[in-house]
Amino acid sequence: MSAATDPWPLRAPRLLGATALSIGSQVGGLVVLLARIVARLFPPRLDRAELLRNLHKMGVRSLPIVSVTALFVGAIMVIQAAPLVTRFNAREIVGWGAGFATLREVGPLLIALMFSGRVGANNTAELGTMVVTSQIDALRALAIDPIGYLVLPRVLSMVVMLFFLTIIGDVVAIGGAMVAGKVLLDVDPRSFLNSLFLLLDQWDLMTGLIKSVIFGAMIALTSCHFGLSVTGGAPGVGRAVNASVVAAASGIFILDYFSSFLLG
Amino acid sequence: MSIRFENVRKAFGSKVVLEDVGFEVGSGECFFIIGASGVGKSVLIKHLIGLLRPDGGSIYLDGEEVSRLTEKEFFSVRKKCAMVFQNSTLFDSMTCAENVALPLRKHKRLGAKAALKEALERLDTVHMREFANAYPPELGDGMQKRVAIARALTLDPRYVLFDEPTTSLDPVSARRVDQMIRELCDEVGVTSIVVSHDLRSIFGIADRICMLYKGHVRMLGTPEDFQTTDDPVVQQFINGRAEGPMEV
Ligand SMILES: Nc1ncnc2c1ncn2[C@@H]1O[C@H](COP(=O)(O)OP(=O)(O)O)[C@@H](O)[C@H]1O
Ligand SMILES: [Mg+2]
Repeated sequence: MSAATDPWPLRAPRLLGATALSIGSQVGGLVVLLARIVARLFPPRLDRAELLRNLHKMGVRSLPIVSVTALFVGAIMVIQAAPLVTRFNAREIVGWGAGFATLREVGPLLIALMFSGRVGANNTAELGTMVVTSQIDALRALAIDPIGYLVLPRVLSMVVMLFFLTIIGDVVAIGGAMVAGKVLLDVDPRSFLNSLFLLLDQWDLMTGLIKSVIFGAMIALTSCHFGLSVTGGAPGVGRAVNASVVAAASGIFILDYFSSFLLG
Repeated sequence: MSIRFENVRKAFGSKVVLEDVGFEVGSGECFFIIGASGVGKSVLIKHLIGLLRPDGGSIYLDGEEVSRLTEKEFFSVRKKCAMVFQNSTLFDSMTCAENVALPLRKHKRLGAKAALKEALERLDTVHMREFANAYPPELGDGMQKRVAIARALTLDPRYVLFDEPTTSLDPVSARRVDQMIRELCDEVGVTSIVVSHDLRSIFGIADRICMLYKGHVRMLGTPEDFQTTDDPVVQQFINGRAEGPMEV
C-alpha cells in the first residue's frame, strides 16, 4: 500500500518513520565519509595546488562578507544590551558584556552560518556538478582517489579558514560593539576595552574558537557528503545544495547546544 | 586473449540493461562495440575499470579477474587501462594543459613545471596546443574531446576504452582520431575497445565488431562479416534505415 492511499491516521506515523529513516541514512553517510577522510590522513598526501586554490577561494574571498556580518553582530549586541545598561547604570561593563556574548556564542555561530551559506553551498554545488558531469568518474578512471584529491583539501580548507575567519570576525565584532557603545551609550572606548580585558578570561575566547572548529568540520562534512551523493542531473544538484545548507545549519545548532553545555 | 567478458549481467533497479554479454578481445586488437543508443555500450565498458560492478558474470583483463577487485585494487588496473568518456569530463576549474598535466603530476611524480611541459607536447599530438590555456567550458565539444583523449593517453596505457570518440567531431578531426586509434594499435601495440556509431570509423579501422542488442551480443565478427550478414537487425543498423525489425 502506498502512502497516498493510506487512511489518514496511518499517514503521519508512516511519514515520521520515512523521515527518521532518511535522516538516519544521511547521518550514516556522513559517518562513512568521515571515516574515509580520516583514513586518507595517514599518511597525508595532499595536493598542494588544490589545497591552495580552496584556501584562497573559501577563506580570502569570504573576508568581506564575514567582516560586514561581524561588524553588525557586535553593534547589535550593544543595542540589545542598551536598555539594561542604562537602567542599571552598568556602562563600565558594556565591553565585557558584548565581548562575552560575541566571543563565546554569537560570533562563531553567525559567522559559521554565513560561511555555510556561502562556502558550504558552493562546495556542494561544485562537487554535485562534478558528479553529474562524470568528472568524479573521470578522476577515478585516471586512478586518482576523489576523496584524497578533492575532498580532503576542501575539508581542511574549510576547517582552517572558518577558524581564522572567526578570529578576524571576533576582532571586527568587538570593534563594532565599541563604536556602537560610544554612539548609543556614550561609553568611552578606553573603559570599554578595560572591562573587556579585565573581566574576560582566555577561556571565553577559546570556547568560541573550539566551536568554530567543530562548526567548520560539520559544514565541510555535510557539504561534501551531499555534493558527492547527487543523483538526477541539474535538479539533483539544486536539491543537494538545499539539503546541505539545511543539514549544516541544523547540525551547527545541535552541536552548539552540546558544546556550550560541555565547554561550560 | 587480453580482455574477456563472461556472462556479464547488469541491472539498474528493475531495468535490466545487460542480460548476458560475453566476448573476447585479443591483444593489440581494435575492437568496436556498436548498438542503438541506450543499449548499454557505455555501461558495459565502464565495468572493465570498475566504475560499475556487474550483478553477475566475470570480467578478465590481462588474465586477472577484475570484476571482484576492490576500489583500491582497481587503481593499478586503471593505470594500464585508460578511458575516454562519451561526454567531455575535463575538469572545469583547470585549463586544458592543467587537465593533461594532472595524471602526470599524480602518477609520474613530475613537478608542476615538467608536467605542464609534457602536457603541451601531448596537446600538440591532438592539435590542441594553441588552446592549452583555455578552460574547457570555453571550448566546443569536439575540442574538449580531443583534450580528453590527450589526457587519457598521458600514462601510456596498454588498453584504451574510447566511448564514442568521434561523435561531435568534424569530419577531418574524426578521421584524425581514427588514424590515431589505428596507430596506437599498430605501432604501440595498444589494445582498444571503441564504442561508436560512426560508420566511417567502424568500417575504416575496426579489426572486429560486436553488436549489442537487447542485453545480448547480437553479432560478433569482422567488418566484412557485418557487410555480408543476412541478419535483418544488423543490416538495418549498419545501413541506418528507419524501417525494419529493430526495436529500440
Ligand atoms: N547510473 C545509472 N543509473 C541508472 N540507469 C543507468 C545508469 N547508467 C546507465 N543507465 C541506463 O542504462 C541504459 C544504458 O545506458 P548507456 O550504456 O549509457 O547506453 P549507450 O549504449 O547509449 O551508451 C540506459 O537506459 C540508461 O538509462
Ligand atoms: Mg553511451
